[in-house]
Amino acid sequence: MEWAWLIPVFSFAAAPMIVIFGRFLPGKGAILSILAIGGGFAVFWFVLDSWLGANAGTSGCFTSENTGMLTCDYERSWFNAGVAGAVGSVSLHWGILIDPLTIAMLGLVTFVALMVQVYSLAYMKGDPRFGWYFAVHSLFAAAMLTLVLADNFLMLYVAWELVGICSYLLIGFWHERPAAREAAKKAFIVTRIGDVGLLIGILLIWREVGTFSMLDAFEAVRTGAMSQGVTTVAAILLFLGAMGKSAQVPFHVWLPDAMEGPTPVSALIHAATMVIAGVFLVARTFPLFEAYDADPLIVVAIVGLVTALGAATIALVATDLKRILAYSTISHLGLMMLSLGAFGYTAAIFHLMAHGFSKALLFLGAGSVLHSTEFQETGEMGGLRKVMPVTAIVFSIGALSLGGIPILAGFWSKDEILVAVNDNRNVTFIVLTLFTALLSAIYMGRAMFLVFFGPLKDQNSHAHESPILMTLPMILLGVLALGFGLISFNWPGSFGGIGTFIFFGHGESFHFEVWLGALSIIMAVGAFIAAYMIYVRNSFSLEGVRARNSGFLKIVENKYYFDEVYQWTIDRVVLVFSRFIAYFDRAIVNDIIVNGPADATRKFGILIRLHVTGHVYTYTLAMAIGSVGLGLFVWLRVV
Amino acid sequence: MVDLVYFQLLSAALFIIGLYGVMARRSAVLIVMSIELMLNAVNINLIAAASHMEGTGNFANFDGQLIAIFIITVAAAEVGLALAIILRIYRNRSTVNVDEINLMKW
Repeated sequence: MEWAWLIPVFSFAAAPMIVIFGRFLPGKGAILSILAIGGGFAVFWFVLDSWLGANAGTSGCFTSENTGMLTCDYERSWFNAGVAGAVGSVSLHWGILIDPLTIAMLGLVTFVALMVQVYSLAYMKGDPRFGWYFAVHSLFAAAMLTLVLADNFLMLYVAWELVGICSYLLIGFWHERPAAREAAKKAFIVTRIGDVGLLIGILLIWREVGTFSMLDAFEAVRTGAMSQGVTTVAAILLFLGAMGKSAQVPFHVWLPDAMEGPTPVSALIHAATMVIAGVFLVARTFPLFEAYDADPLIVVAIVGLVTALGAATIALVATDLKRILAYSTISHLGLMMLSLGAFGYTAAIFHLMAHGFSKALLFLGAGSVLHSTEFQETGEMGGLRKVMPVTAIVFSIGALSLGGIPILAGFWSKDEILVAVNDNRNVTFIVLTLFTALLSAIYMGRAMFLVFFGPLKDQNSHAHESPILMTLPMILLGVLALGFGLISFNWPGSFGGIGTFIFFGHGESFHFEVWLGALSIIMAVGAFIAAYMIYVRNSFSLEGVRARNSGFLKIVENKYYFDEVYQWTIDRVVLVFSRFIAYFDRAIVNDIIVNGPADATRKFGILIRLHVTGHVYTYTLAMAIGSVGLGLFVWLRVV
Repeated sequence: MVDLVYFQLLSAALFIIGLYGVMARRSAVLIVMSIELMLNAVNINLIAAASHMEGTGNFANFDGQLIAIFIITVAAAEVGLALAIILRIYRNRSTVNVDEINLMKW
């Protein structure tokens, strides 16, 4: 298990090798990237196996009193800042922390990254920067894997920023397009705003605890060494970072724009890396959130709910296929946050994985469609199941899974979330969550039916099924989206369901609230049927509804004017303030503080240079008078 | 033995003449000569004082003579250097008038 550090190292090593040697290798070095992440996926199974065989006596392992899970921590000293052991010195470590949360994330990230990279072989074929694409892909996966393995906040922060820069590079991959450049900048800057909170939170914890180690921080919270106020503030600051990365309101604006990157990148960002980092961070530092009265969790729950609901309504009216999926991701990230905020630790991670597989599948499917038709607008598509049957089937599986149709992965995880919200939060939350679930089913149905059902348009008659390199990853992901939910049960044998694997506090076997389950099934099935009636059969038209609610519709279609508000804020507040600062800099700092002394020195110099006459007798006279003066002075002193 | 004060008067007179020469002359060579005059005024002062000083024990005090010889040595070197500089200046500017050698001023 201590060899788990190899998982990110493979990919870290692959990235520079592709850049340097890629041109000499087959496929411009893409093979290296795939081998590296494939190796990581193989090591993941060894780690899982050895974790299942481990117990509290295994070297480095113990049952954490903070999370209740068997946790293994391996660390090496890196360096000491200051004298070792002295007051104020900081000793920094490399370390990996392995608990079920890490293992689940390792599996998700390596598998989805592997699938996406195989898919990219075909999708990115012929791109002039093919090798560079795979190099950044490798680095991206490596950074995310480091993030989930990190056992201290400093490593986590470094990996966190690496993830950010890689997303910047990949979103702006086609940087010849101005929109891609803008989107990349937006993604980087918006997440940076949250990152500031994260950094301050980490430093606050360090100030209180004295180390960057997460386990020490959790211990300090449990023993009360970290007071309630500090813990709450630190948790909120960490959550700020998580909001930026996980695209929670009001930091969600970057994610829809991130669609400017290549579609497989979107699949990776939405499913395995980047956006789930925020959810992971909250889950990883859950002891901080849950400590004392769990006040920060209320914030998490509210932000999650608002995000889930707001994004779901936008997804309902978006027309660009990738944007529908992007808002759906935001909505589901909101659900995960809401679940964490409702103490649904297991449900959140379970949904994270189920959503990860389904959403990777959906994006790869969307990529397949775009690859074949060159369109992004759902209005330009329709009837594609006739020409691309495999894509249609796997996309539908993903859509049904996220929509919450039973036995597909998304149903079970969403149900777990509903149970958690119902148990721990008040009635407003559960009603709005159910409504979000309903919207989720409707927009998923809408996307699916608009793209693959109905009559085939002439412009798409040349469309064809994608090559096997693209369909195979989709099929594998489709199998997971279909069957992954089954791990939630306590099957006969030693496996007691996901609730006994990933949990917080104590393990729980699967449980099912009958009325909630029934309600969510009825809503999901009803929503899909309604979507079918509206978008395929045209049984009834939405024009009346649109006309009656045109005001509200306009607000939603403009994404609640978030972008406009930000633009206004930047133009009218930030830039005005910046201009004032710039004026202050020029007038006060430059003209007075810097140029002032320089001016005074120059003027004084002009004044005193007058004594340099260039005449020898002036100097001699001065010297003589000086000598006499000095002599007189000494003489007077002596006498 | 002549009284010490006469030597000191002579020394002071020579020194003042030298000082006047440095201040009033325009020719660099004459200024150097005036400086030599001042140095020798100091030498006279030193040697006179040394020879009028009571020796300690059986040995006279040689401090004055010592410093005087030192000054003569330094003066010799100084004259060599000064004349060399003056020579260079003359080569460059065809004059040794210090009023015209005034580049290093504002």
